[in-house]
Amino acid sequence: MTADFLSRLRKRRAAIAGLILVAFHLTLALTAPVIAPHDPFRLIEAPLEPPSAAYWLGTDELGRDFFSRLLMGGRIAIMAAISAGFVSALAGGLIGLAAAYRGGWFDDAVSRFVEMKLAIPSILFVSLFVTGFGQSLGVLIVVIAVINTAGVIRTARAQGIAIMEQGYVKAAILRGERGSAIVLREMFPNVLELLAVEFALRSSNALLLVSALSFLGLGISPPTPDWGTMIHDGLQSIRSEPWLILAPSLCISSLVIAINLATDGVVEAAGLEASRGG
Amino acid sequence: MADEALLRAAGLNIGYATPEGGWATVVSGASFEIAPGEALGIVGESGSGKSTLARALLGYLRPGGAFRGGSLRFKDVEIAGGDPAAIAGLRGVRIAMVPQNPLASLTYHIPVGHQIEEVLRTRGRLPAAAARQRRNDLLVRMGLPDPAVIAARYPHQLSGGQRQRVVIAAALACAPELLVLDEPTTALDKTTESQVLDLIANLRAESRAALVLVTHDLNVVARVCDRVLVMKNGRIVEQGAVENVFARPRTDYARELLGAALRIDTASAAADGGTGAALLDIDAIGFAYAKRRWFAPKAAVTPTLAGVSARIGRGEILGVIGESGSGKTTLGLVVAGLLAPNSGAVEFDGARLAGEVRARSADQRRRIQMVFQDPLSSLNPRQTVGAAVMRPLTMFFGLDRRTARRRAAALFAALGLEETLMSRYPRQLSGGQQQRVAIARAFAAEPDLLVCDEITSALDASIQAQVLELLLAMQRRTGAAMMVITHDLSVIWKLAPRVVVMQGGKVIEAGATEAVFRAPRSAYTAGLVAAATSAGRFYSDAAAADPSAPVLVPAIG
Repeated sequence: MTADFLSRLRKRRAAIAGLILVAFHLTLALTAPVIAPHDPFRLIEAPLEPPSAAYWLGTDELGRDFFSRLLMGGRIAIMAAISAGFVSALAGGLIGLAAAYRGGWFDDAVSRFVEMKLAIPSILFVSLFVTGFGQSLGVLIVVIAVINTAGVIRTARAQGIAIMEQGYVKAAILRGERGSAIVLREMFPNVLELLAVEFALRSSNALLLVSALSFLGLGISPPTPDWGTMIHDGLQSIRSEPWLILAPSLCISSLVIAINLATDGVVEAAGLEASRGG
Repeated sequence: MADEALLRAAGLNIGYATPEGGWATVVSGASFEIAPGEALGIVGESGSGKSTLARALLGYLRPGGAFRGGSLRFKDVEIAGGDPAAIAGLRGVRIAMVPQNPLASLTYHIPVGHQIEEVLRTRGRLPAAAARQRRNDLLVRMGLPDPAVIAARYPHQLSGGQRQRVVIAAALACAPELLVLDEPTTALDKTTESQVLDLIANLRAESRAALVLVTHDLNVVARVCDRVLVMKNGRIVEQGAVENVFARPRTDYARELLGAALRIDTASAAADGGTGAALLDIDAIGFAYAKRRWFAPKAAVTPTLAGVSARIGRGEILGVIGESGSGKTTLGLVVAGLLAPNSGAVEFDGARLAGEVRARSADQRRRIQMVFQDPLSSLNPRQTVGAAVMRPLTMFFGLDRRTARRRAAALFAALGLEETLMSRYPRQLSGGQQQRVAIARAFAAEPDLLVCDEITSALDASIQAQVLELLLAMQRRTGAAMMVITHDLSVIWKLAPRVVVMQGGKVIEAGATEAVFRAPRSAYTAGLVAAATSAGRFYSDAAAADPSAPVLVPAIG
């Protein structure tokens, strides 16, 4: 099974490229403090210096080394995205399964919440909460996790309804197992692959959202280096120093695309398409 | 005769490429002939290669498959490794196929009439008006009296039987010389199956097309076919005229298959183990699936169960038969507690049984256990089968893990499962092993009543016999009563001294199994018995004429 899976995965070039790119991004993010050539917070040169041997991508509008800031700029956003992705996959999985198990009013309430969430644009929803609860990383993670949870609930609930029809769940109900035991022991282990896929996709989605918020000034606040903020700051010099926008944009899009390519490839190679839903 | 053969296979081998780079042989050394207008049955268990052989008659193989020697000639066209264009020219015109699942073989978004016309126009090269006329003729021949109405419907708007008739109509559209039917009635209930088989027999009589009918059901062969091939592990182990093969089977395998077919001339093997004291008393229960509506009054729904009553004594085995939709499974679910009845009452060992399983006492839950139809889905894929059997032990008896493990191992042994299997996951076991684990799990709770819902219908004939035998041995040892729900009359004949016949949510007949099967009071029961005994009758007649005929290997002792 595993050897089979690897041989099928190897044939998917896009997936391999995606996996390599994700690994590359994660390595850079983890090692950035060590490999960054300069202190990303120090004003080191005159503002908006062009690229040179010492400052590979020149300096930003305050005179900090842009390359070092680029290396460091994914760390917080990726960390926030992964945390939000993890929380939403876990919470969404459990809530979705519980809704499938309980049915009745609980299922109705959960389903209406999901529909309500899906009807409101994410960015509006987050802006509202960040404005209300204050602009901190914790609030950001929680709100983005809540948003992504809705989608996971929908997928997990659909899968859960199918699992409820299985004999082993019926047998557990007939034994008189508690609801929590049925959801956690009988159902949850059987949606793990599905949740792994959701985790990857929700993380990439969360990264886009974090970056968009930072760009709007609602996300990660200066002076912390962040790709979204850097794009925002680069706007002023878009004609003279376009790389200040292009470089962070490329970082965000390449990571998001890579996650999606890798996930699609892994899902196909593992034959999980059937378990993927909206 | 031999020179006029419509189709002749000689030493035909079919193999599939294995991931290791070798070949797995699925059909080996198959030699047989089909004469024009003849009906040939191909029988065997799943994995015997019968479906592969049937599809190969049209030149189709699953991906990775290849003809590995031998020849397969249809008149003057070589199908094994012959010219692909010539073979393609045969399909749908001179050879046609009716696949197993009629719903999957019809395109869902096109009215069925169009799908038949399409065959007539592209393969039969008929102009539109003529195609429509011929389509209507075909549908009428299929016993669909209102062709214009049926033709305008989409596949999902037809019943299973109607769909299969439409598929057969499409297959017969170009008046083929050979029609291949792969398990044509497996997806249908018994009454509909009977009608479709009559239709197939009539069509044969009038169209002169030869038939190849692949099935696991010997009764179907007995009703329709002239000759039969018995396949096992890719080889044809026996072939000949149906009345010869069924009356005097030469191989143990054929005898085993026939042994599994029902013969009601011999005494029922079911022994009355009941003590007479009532254990379960079902009193006039009714059940209907409620349609949930938000802003409208509750709609009246046809009840799935209406006024059903039955009794089971301590240690007694009660059979429940009926075709799909008769409510027999619903009855089992009500007794087990997965569905709560809308009316009536169920009494268990003198105490009233709550509808919902949650409202029952832990002891009641322990004493009533259930085994389900699909063995794979009844075990959690993420749990070892040992853990599945240990769970009721720790839960109901509060045993510590080590004691529970020892008792589970004893249960495994009692069901003929090796102890080493305990650490395996369900997928690593065969269907028969999975079902034995499910039975072990049920008996782990030391039940007084076991509800068995079609527990052998997903298994092969030889495995069925083995599982039933082990189940019966467990039942005798523990003295548990059983409610055996099945559409397979031979299971009831072997296990249950008393039977309840259900139709349309009602009990239409009840009594001693021998009396009900030999002298059914209702036409419905008589039809079920007749359909289930057609294969066995050949043997019974032969055995009656020749007292030295070997005794059929009984599927269960």
